[in-house]
Amino acid sequence: MPSRYLLRRLAQVLPTVVGLLVLNFCIIHLAPGDPSIALGGEHGDAAYYTFLRARFGLDRPLPEQLLTYITNVLRGDLGTSFVHGRSVAAVIAERLPATLLLVSAALALSSVAGVGLGALAARHGRRPADVTINAVALLGYAIPSFWLGQMVLLALAVGTGLFPVQGMTDARDPKTGFGYMLDVLHHLALPALVLAANELALTTRLVRTGLLEALGTDYVRAARAKGLPEGLIIRHALRNVMLPVITIIGSRAGMFLSGAVLVEVVFAWPGLGRLLLSSLLARDYPILLGMFLLISLTVILANLITDLAYAWLDPRIRYQ
Amino acid sequence: MPGSIPAFDINSRSPAILGSRVSASRVGLFRILRSGAGRVGIVLTCGLVAVALLASRIAPADPFASVGPPLSSPTLAHPMGTDDLGRDLLSGVAHGTRTSLLLALIVSVLTGFIGVIVGALAAWEGGRVDDALIRVTEFVQVVPRFFLAVIVIALLGPGLDRLVLLLALTSWPWIARVVRAEVLSLKQQEFVEAARSLGAGRSRVLLREVLPNALPPVVVVVSLNAASVILIEAGLSFLGLGDPDVVSLGYLANNAQRFLRVAWWMVAFPGATIALAVLGLNLLGDGLNDVLNPRGAS
Amino acid sequence: MRRGSMTLQAVLVLISVWCLGSVPAVGQDAPVRGGTVVVAIVSDPGHLNPAITTSGATHAAAELLYNGLLGRDERGDPIPELAESWQVEQGGTMYRFRLRDGVKWHDSTPFTASDVKFTFEEVLLKFHARTRASMGALLAGVEAPDDRTVIFRFKQPYAPLLYQLDATEAPIIARHVYQGTDPQTNPANSNPIGTGPFKFASYTKGTEIRLARNPAYFKPGLPYLDGLVMRIIPDLSVQVLALENGEVDFLWELPAPLQSRIKGDSRFQTARTGYHPGGSNCIMTMSFNLERPILKELRVRQAVAQALDRQTFLVQILFGDGKAAAAPISSEIPWAHAAGLNMPKPDRAEAEKLLDGVGWKKEGDGPRTARGVFGVADGTRLSIDFLHFPTFAKYGELVRQQLGAAGIGVVLRPLEPAVFAPTVFKDRNFDSNVISYCNGPDPEIGVRRMYHSSQIGPAPFTNAAAYRNPRVDALFDEASRTVERDKRSRLYRQIQEIVVQELPYYWLVETVSTRAWAARCSGFKAWTGLFAEGAFCRR
Repeated sequence: MPSRYLLRRLAQVLPTVVGLLVLNFCIIHLAPGDPSIALGGEHGDAAYYTFLRARFGLDRPLPEQLLTYITNVLRGDLGTSFVHGRSVAAVIAERLPATLLLVSAALALSSVAGVGLGALAARHGRRPADVTINAVALLGYAIPSFWLGQMVLLALAVGTGLFPVQGMTDARDPKTGFGYMLDVLHHLALPALVLAANELALTTRLVRTGLLEALGTDYVRAARAKGLPEGLIIRHALRNVMLPVITIIGSRAGMFLSGAVLVEVVFAWPGLGRLLLSSLLARDYPILLGMFLLISLTVILANLITDLAYAWLDPRIRYQ
Repeated sequence: MPGSIPAFDINSRSPAILGSRVSASRVGLFRILRSGAGRVGIVLTCGLVAVALLASRIAPADPFASVGPPLSSPTLAHPMGTDDLGRDLLSGVAHGTRTSLLLALIVSVLTGFIGVIVGALAAWEGGRVDDALIRVTEFVQVVPRFFLAVIVIALLGPGLDRLVLLLALTSWPWIARVVRAEVLSLKQQEFVEAARSLGAGRSRVLLREVLPNALPPVVVVVSLNAASVILIEAGLSFLGLGDPDVVSLGYLANNAQRFLRVAWWMVAFPGATIALAVLGLNLLGDGLNDVLNPRGAS
Repeated sequence: MRRGSMTLQAVLVLISVWCLGSVPAVGQDAPVRGGTVVVAIVSDPGHLNPAITTSGATHAAAELLYNGLLGRDERGDPIPELAESWQVEQGGTMYRFRLRDGVKWHDSTPFTASDVKFTFEEVLLKFHARTRASMGALLAGVEAPDDRTVIFRFKQPYAPLLYQLDATEAPIIARHVYQGTDPQTNPANSNPIGTGPFKFASYTKGTEIRLARNPAYFKPGLPYLDGLVMRIIPDLSVQVLALENGEVDFLWELPAPLQSRIKGDSRFQTARTGYHPGGSNCIMTMSFNLERPILKELRVRQAVAQALDRQTFLVQILFGDGKAAAAPISSEIPWAHAAGLNMPKPDRAEAEKLLDGVGWKKEGDGPRTARGVFGVADGTRLSIDFLHFPTFAKYGELVRQQLGAAGIGVVLRPLEPAVFAPTVFKDRNFDSNVISYCNGPDPEIGVRRMYHSSQIGPAPFTNAAAYRNPRVDALFDEASRTVERDKRSRLYRQIQEIVVQELPYYWLVETVSTRAWAARCSGFKAWTGLFAEGAFCRR
């Protein structure tokens, strides 16, 4: 891929990132009262607030504060959590892998299954199989993920005892090596399934709609007339459909992550979701702000990646 | 969190999916009744709206008042049972539906307003204005709504009013993009040239000729967005960030969790209502899309 | 063949008789060694030092790592622990303890009397709310004349000492680890050294704390378990699911709606107790901030008390498991609990009359409006905020419901324990709140701190109402000097009569916990923090 395009896209992303930092900064100052409260919590003593004021330059004029804030963030300094007593970056980094695991698993599941089901539905367009798949897909995202999570928990975990109800690992017998991986997968199954359910529906419907439309075009009709096998036609059509599907999935990164938070809370999955909830209750603003920044940056990254993937797959875009 | 599944792609990079637009769509909206999805969607949505409007009639009990024995299963007196504090669930669901739909309505109106203005302006004026507005749109689109709501509510406290404002200020980009795409393509069409040559001023052409034709796809996006607003509110209530002074479906579903095993009705009814609302609004959007986009119809 | 089989049969019979004969007394199974028990806890404690806090989270997770000078039996009476014997001398102003020999810290350093002296003087009396409040002003000093003797000297006779020396009220921490450091920030708080039956193994923040058997524990043969895991599961109903699924073996708190279900299941056993890791004999108490103009007026507080129906709280929140509070001191301390007091009766009409009388008029829907209320501007709405731990949300909802019916608006503010304490006690930024005030085994321990004017201050869970009554202060002072129970009883009764008139607080319900555990395990002691000291599980 020509690096010119890459550089151009990166250059477009930069102002967005800066904009996000400014937004975060504004949110800090949105807190009622002293911004040092937002950064240090409501119950520090005078010495701590003075220290914070010096560190973040809270007595200087706003533009200078903004610059200090941005430089701090770029250095990786997101502040200190007064509840955990450690740097925000460290606390978030601790919980990040578990959430990444969950989100990747769910994404993989929903993408693969979504494409498969969508193709299946399009193939049987407007016949019972299609209608069923469409209906199930609709239900899949209409049901709130936390509700679905609870129902699944009851049915599949407690009802049958096949799956654990909480956590990422077995509390009683911590395993190592391969056993550990299996244990984690066992615990991952239900939360990933529930999280995938919502996105699965989206992907299925997108692929289905796109395919139906593509299959109605002239060139497909011509190909059929020429006697090309249906499977091959569908594969070709899929390739064209995937591009916008990927874009849309990528643009939904924010919503996907919020679904992850809710699922984590239901299944006691030790990731960012639980951290969000406990930080909320403790009013640990530095962590909340750090997480907001991180999620926003992830969304930007997801958009960027999908754009690049799109450009890689569709040469027309690159040379615009 | 999902709630808006576009059955088409509003990103103007992919004409393959976008399909053709129907221009004489003022009459066409009734065609929605021909679409299966549209029919179900209308029935569901209207049904829920009716419940919301008639909440005080159907279920006159104050949803916050203890009126019956706690945790009693559905009976004639309390068709949806009571919760752990003896509050009538039917009242809760009816009033909660009203809250959720009202929230969705207000946010939809506001986002529609902002989105149409931004999109139309960007497309009509073009050039620098367009560039600037697109930048703004892209930026707002990137901000994760749910997490922004979480942190703002954490800082300022819960309240439906600030949720409305927050969601309205962050949900319009999608609409703006659709409007912009529509206006851009309509700009080139002949009837616009015709109107201009007849001497009509630029803004008149925009308002009288272009916008009415640009609006139908907007309605689709708005209905999809309304569904996502309901889900966002439910999610926030689940985390304990909902407005504690107002009954909402999310609050009811959250409250019911502890009693999942002993009182299934506490979870079932609010959860099902949320699902029905989201389903109804999405099907409505689907139906509208069928009308406007016959080639890619479901 | 026949003879062989008969011999075989005989041998089998002999063997079975021998086995049966060696089965221990009826009702007791022989303890089985080994195994790990998984315990569910509700929140991440943040640190594992129970001497600097009365937080239930820390005590639930960490008490098994430590010991007190004395322990508690099922009735709450003192039994030897780190101290093997004691004498009360000089009319109750001096207590002499003889410490056990050969007790070692988890890092093999010998335990001595200087550890006890250090813990009391430098840690408990500074950071532990109940110890501070009760003993603080009255203790003249703690002496350690030799390695195995500790002497407590008081300025006046002090009766309750023996009831507040267990690991919940006064856990002993290591001098050689904490001396010269700030106990609140010492890293040993996350990597603790104690004398208890279990040692610290690991602490994964947000997930679990692992404890391992202490092979050098001073009680021979104990503990039986190889280890314990404290798993953090914030949602009580998920804890029950985990118990049923076999992922968890022991719950501190069985939520009321699920009790009948678990009690009826033979796979589990339950036990009821008034002891919580944060303290015992607890009463859910609504506090009024007497410094706020609306609540300064006694008639308003009376109206609140009469608008609330304690019985409803008992039925709807506790599902009948517990008691409606009948007096400010818990009925679990029978000699101090004042029976037959004239507690406010639920009477909404009366409450509304009182409010009208003060000047709070009902104008349309919603909260009442001030018309001629002393100290409040005309037109102000009668609205108070109500702070509570998130786990006590139901109390908030009921209070809002019942007070709302009388025209008092209530705004709910849920706050996590870490934030609740400073907001209420340091900043005093609240109108009303609900606190689980634990009386402890003796009113000196947990009751005094609520009413004595010297206990108004930033230390958590002290006098939240900022109540000041010199007569009550004097009565408490006299009661703490008195040793005869009858006389103390009369003094506490007088105190209770006064505070029920003045209503700085309103006492809602006495709470009990129901513990639940897998039936294959036995030996859990529900009434103490060292609950797993003698526990064992069959496979």
